[in-house]
Formats: sequence, C-alpha cells, structure tokens
Amino acid sequence: MKRKLFFFAVLFLALALVFGVMGCAPVDPVDDEEEVTPPDEEVDDEDVLEFDGEIKIAVTGPMTNIQGEMMWWGAEMARDEINAAGGVIIGDETYSVSLIQVETDEIMDPLGAVSAVENVIISEDPHFLIGGFRTEAVMPYTDLVARDYQKIFVICGAATNELLEGRIDEDYDTWKYLFRVTPIKSTDLVTVTILMLNDVAMAVREELGIAQPKVAILAEALEWNEALVQMAPQIFPTLGLEFVGTFRPSATASDVTTELRGIEASGAHIIYTIMSGPVGIPFGKQWGELEIPAAPVGINVEAQKSGYYPATDGFGDYDYTLNTFAKNAEITEETIPFMEQFVDLFGQLPNYNADTYSAVYILAEAAERAGTLDTDAVIEEMENTERIGAAGRLVFDENHDVVWGPGYVTAVGIQWQDGELLGAWPYEWYPDPENAPDLVVGYDGIVPYQLPPHVLEQWRE
Amino acid sequence: MAVIQMALRYIRKEILVLPTRVIAVLFVLTLLLLPFLTQDMYILRILAIAAIFAIFAASWDLLSGFVGQISFGHALFFGVAAYTTALLNLRLGWSPVITIPLGALVAVLVGLLVGIPCLRLKGPYLGLATLAFPIMLMGIIFVFPGFFGGELGISGITRLAALRIHEYYLAVGLMLVLCFIMWKITDSKIGIIFHAIREDEIAVRASGINTIKFKLLAFCLSGFFAGIAGGLFTHFLRIAGPSMLAVLMSFQAIIWTIFGGIATIYGAVAGVFILYPTLEILRAAAEYRMLIFALIVLLVLRVMPEGITTFIRDKLERECPRCKVRNAFNRKEFRVCYSNMHG
Repeated sequence: MKRKLFFFAVLFLALALVFGVMGCAPVDPVDDEEEVTPPDEEVDDEDVLEFDGEIKIAVTGPMTNIQGEMMWWGAEMARDEINAAGGVIIGDETYSVSLIQVETDEIMDPLGAVSAVENVIISEDPHFLIGGFRTEAVMPYTDLVARDYQKIFVICGAATNELLEGRIDEDYDTWKYLFRVTPIKSTDLVTVTILMLNDVAMAVREELGIAQPKVAILAEALEWNEALVQMAPQIFPTLGLEFVGTFRPSATASDVTTELRGIEASGAHIIYTIMSGPVGIPFGKQWGELEIPAAPVGINVEAQKSGYYPATDGFGDYDYTLNTFAKNAEITEETIPFMEQFVDLFGQLPNYNADTYSAVYILAEAAERAGTLDTDAVIEEMENTERIGAAGRLVFDENHDVVWGPGYVTAVGIQWQDGELLGAWPYEWYPDPENAPDLVVGYDGIVPYQLPPHVLEQWRE
Repeated sequence: MAVIQMALRYIRKEILVLPTRVIAVLFVLTLLLLPFLTQDMYILRILAIAAIFAIFAASWDLLSGFVGQISFGHALFFGVAAYTTALLNLRLGWSPVITIPLGALVAVLVGLLVGIPCLRLKGPYLGLATLAFPIMLMGIIFVFPGFFGGELGISGITRLAALRIHEYYLAVGLMLVLCFIMWKITDSKIGIIFHAIREDEIAVRASGINTIKFKLLAFCLSGFFAGIAGGLFTHFLRIAGPSMLAVLMSFQAIIWTIFGGIATIYGAVAGVFILYPTLEILRAAAEYRMLIFALIVLLVLRVMPEGITTFIRDKLERECPRCKVRNAFNRKEFRVCYSNMHG
C-alpha cells in the first residue's frame, strides 16, 4: 500500500513538474491594452484609473548585485517622477510607466541570462528593455532582442564598443533597436582615464619633482579592459610617463599583495587601475595597509560606491576613479537634484548603472514625441534625442552610442578625500589647447586632485 | 493487424511490466508531444537547453560514473566543440550539419590529448588534472582575443534551425538518440569492461584486457557526446563564450548527474530536466535563488543519496536475488523465475 502511495506521489510530482515548467510563463503574451500591475508597485486604484494605458519597460540586470540594484533604483526614480507628473501623453491618451524587474544573474551565469530576457519578452511583452551589465551576457541577449523580437533595448551598464559598433553601422535594419546611455563606450573611457592620469602625473611632477613618473598597470584579467591594457603603454610616453609593467589579478581576487609588492618593486609612482570586479576592495585595503608608494588612478568600480571607504577600513582613501556622477560636481543643473534625491531615496550614491534614470526618460519622451508606441517611430525619435540629464547632454551618435566630449557627456573623475567621495576631474581641462586655447571645461564644485599623503611622504624621504 | 498486436504485446510485456519504464515512456512522450500543447518560446527554449545539457551530463556519467575516470573539467570538451563549431560556422560559413560533428571530432581529439597524460592518475589526482585543462584553454582564449573573441566570445553564428520548434525537436531528438546510444554502450561488452575498470582495474588488467585502450576509448566517447552538446548549444545560443569553459559548467554536469543518479545515464537526464527548469523557476526569488537551489539539492541527496532515479527505481521495483531481473513492486512473484517475491 505504501509503495502504491509512493508510486502515485511520484507520478503526481512528475506531472506537477511538467505543468510547473509550463506555468512559469503564460502561453499568450499579455495584451498591450490589458492593465497589468507591475510586481513592485502597490495597487492603488485611483492611480491606475488615471491612465489610459501603460508603457512597460523591462529592466534586465544582475538584480542581487549592486549594479542591478542601481539600474533598478534609477529606473524606479524616473518612473515615479513621470507618473507623478501625469504620465506620458501619446496621441490623445495618457500612459503610466511601469517597470518589470528581470533577474538575469548574468555575473554568475552569463549565457543563462538570455533565457530570463526571453521569458520577460514572452510573458510580459514589454514595450522597451533597458539594462545589461556583463558583456558576455549582453551580447547574446541584445542579439535575441533585436533579431528575434525587434524591441528597443537601451544598454545601461556594458561599455564594450562592439555591442553597437560593427552592428548598427554594418546592418542598420537588424540592429537599429539597440542604444547605449551609460556608460560611455570603452574607448572613451580610456580617454577619460588617460586625462585623469595626466592630472596625477602633473601632481607627481609638481609636488615630488619627478620629471618622468613611472606607471604600472593593475588590470583585472577580463576581456573588456584588454584594449586599454594594450593601448595604455603606447600612450604613456606621449604624456611623459615611463611604463614599468602590467599586473593582472583575477576580477574576484581577495588578495593582491603579490601584485602590489611587484608594483612597489618596479619603482612606480602611479598605478593605473582598470577594475570593475570585487577585486577593487582588497586592492584599496591592501594598497593603504601596505602603504604602497604609488598613487592609484583609473577605473575601480568598487571605489565608486559609498561603502568603499568603510569596506577598506579607510585604507582606500585617495583612490581616484572614473564615474558618471559626483555629488559635488554640477555637470548640469540636473546633477545635484538627481544625486540628492537618489541618496534620500536609497541611501547610496548612484553609480553609472543608475542612469537607467535617463534611459526611462529618453524612452518616454521619444514615445511622446512620436505620438505612438510603434517601435520604428520611437527609434526615429530616439535618434533625435537631445536631453539634459544628470550626466550631461545626452545625444546619440550614428551607432546609437551616447556622444562623449565637452558639451556632451564627459564622465567625471572622483576621489576619496578624507572619507568623502568628491569630483576631482575635470577641474581645469583644456580639451583642445591648440585650436581652442580658451576652451576650459570644469564643473562647479569640482575640487583639485590630491596625492595620497603616504605617497608624498615616502617619495620625499 | 499482426504488427499492432505485436506492438501491444511488446508494450504490455516490456514496458508496462516495470513502473520505471512507464515513467521513462511518459517522459519521452511528454517531450515529443509538448509542442502540441504549447508553443511558448520560453518553455521550448528551457527544454531545448535542458535536452542539450542532458547530453552533456550523460557524457560525464559515461566517463566518470561508468569508468570511474573522475573528470572535474568536463567543460573542456563542451567548450572546445563550441568554439570549433562557432569558428567553422563564422569563418567558413559551414552549416550546423557539418560544424557540430566536426566540433565533436575535435573534442574527441582533445579527449585523446587529455586522456593520455591522465592515464596514470586516479581519483582526486585525475580530477584535479582534468580541472586544469579548461582553465588553460580559457587562458588561451584570453591570450588571443582577436581570434577567439576574448570575453565577448564569438557571436553572429547561424541558428540551429529557422524556427524554435524545429530547434526544440532537434535538441530533444538528438538527446533521446544519443542518450540511448550511451545507455546501450554501457549495457554492451564494452560497458562491462568499463564497469570492471571502475571496480578493479588491476583485476581487469590481470585478465589480459588492455585497460589503457578502454580508458582512452571512454575519454574519446565522452568527448564526442559532450562535443555534440557543445556544438548544439553554440548554434542554439548563437554565441560561444568563455563561460562555456568555466569551472561552474563542469560542476553543473556533476551536480545534475549525482542528483539524478550516477552510473545510470538516465539519471543524468532526469537530473538536468528537474534541476535546470527549477533554477529557471527560481528566478522569481532572485535573492534566494541559489540558496533554495542548494537546499533542494542537499535535502534530496540527504534523503536519496544514490540519486533521485535510483531511489525511485528501488522503491518501485525489486531485483530478484536469483535471476537478477527487475520486477514491479506490486507483483506477488518474480516475473521470470516465479519465486515468491515476499517470501
């Protein structure tokens, strides 16, 4: 009898599994006109009834990581503002913005992320998608979104040039659905970090009297920074710098003592960092603890976060990294209100992923201008985007990439100074000293870069 | 009429006679008939990927479960075939019909290359040695990003088939055929030698059998099947990326197989078809996804240490101690020797 019961239990479980798999996505896509309450929104009948429809935007990213959280928070902020302001007017109708959170788990499982994206497209039928962090995941899922579903996807986290270059310029009709709002593309990131490096080199020359500072590269072993690692040593001599070597820890390394001791032995005055992974924290902590006499500058995504200083027990002070925003830098009139509101709402400073905020606005405004949610019409309007955002003036180039440069989005250099994260670049940037010697870029609130005290002390000794 | 009668007789005598066979047939029928019930792209995607991973997990079972050659780097075969397939398709424009078998053949060669230096190693030493190979290959991929695409991988590959439903049937069909072949191999004379090598290699050698030859054969066969899975996956996803060589990929095959039941082939298939969709469903609980998944695996293995299929089989069937034939639990006497089952 027990065995019979067990047999039926097994059969039941097998059937439950089959139907469970079938049930994890509805068979029919949700109709555009049907009112769907987003999972994160509280039901409020009055608010729902105010709108004639809704624009559904799926936010795809590693939601249990800080990058995904920032994407979600930025988008939430934009959604709430738009809805509170009366929604999006498309033709004669008013639409609310609703968000759908998509956990792609792309840091752990980049190839599995495609399934999560396809699931949301089928089950929720969003009008637009935004997000994407890890290039290896974003590559296949932008492929799926553009080629199989012809939906607009705004990248808000992956910098690799090839996500747009070689796609839109070579086959516009297939790839026209893809745009990038944040960050600026890899090659522009290189340019900014080199400009920041130049600032540090000048500080070393002026304060330490070293005519040709030595630079070591500390780059996590990942492909996204490969171009930077190859290109940087060729650029250093043009800045009057001597290249002394490259050190490549794992992106998830918890100990970089060997690399730091190697850098110290090389006699480097500056460490050009290129790190997006968790290795940024052990780096900051050990660099300060060991008092490595070389000033870090470049990209350290961990150092962009409010929690970096306590995570490194304060040893990460004076780390100098690239970011999209700085709380003291008034890039545009939108920057400070955005930063303050973000901190008020979420208790953290936004990183570059949080500019999903702009992405939501760009999509909503393009739909409003187009007067329809028709994809091609919205794309046409998005190509004409001209928006003053918190990160600068947002305009798309022929590859649908956000334009970098003076008067557009420049990015900023941020430095931890006595436990405070302050904007330190562009302080006095001459973008074109030969042709436009009077053109100086510097944002209100930006403070001058400071060499780490222990670096000053050790080299003066 | 006679054919129908024969078929019915076969079903009655060979399938309905054992509950596990009934479950297996129901599983196959469900897979084959599912597209008639739903053509939801997402469901077909998940099940097609599960079918591909089932081939991969079963290939690990063939090598490690049956021959005892513990491999912690099985992603090597999967990844090598994936990259070969992708490069042949992208650079030479060859169709999946050619690239997938060629990718699998390259995986066979790699199986030989790995097998030869690993022949003298056993147990954890062999496991660690095999673990090193995919990591080395990943290093090569990053050293030559221009050729292998580095972290971006190789994209722009031809689809496995024009429609998702065709891709589904290709993946599921190949899974059924290849897993059946693997199962038949383990049930053949070669399979008996494989079993014997795992149990006592010295005794096998003492019997005059060249164990080196059979171990290399196991590496090649396993490499071939894992290679087919790698090629299918690449064309299905239209990308070959370095995560296909990641340690996680190798360990997934081990988890799936042990969860389903090691040294069975069908256990690996069951493991994948239970765990892979479960992990997808758990995306709804993003923060607790891996925790819940790990708890499920741990709890199931705590209750069913031999794997889920072995547990179910042992509950539903009994093997006759005399004639060694399996019987349904509800019989009164064994079906071949007719001795009392409960006596």
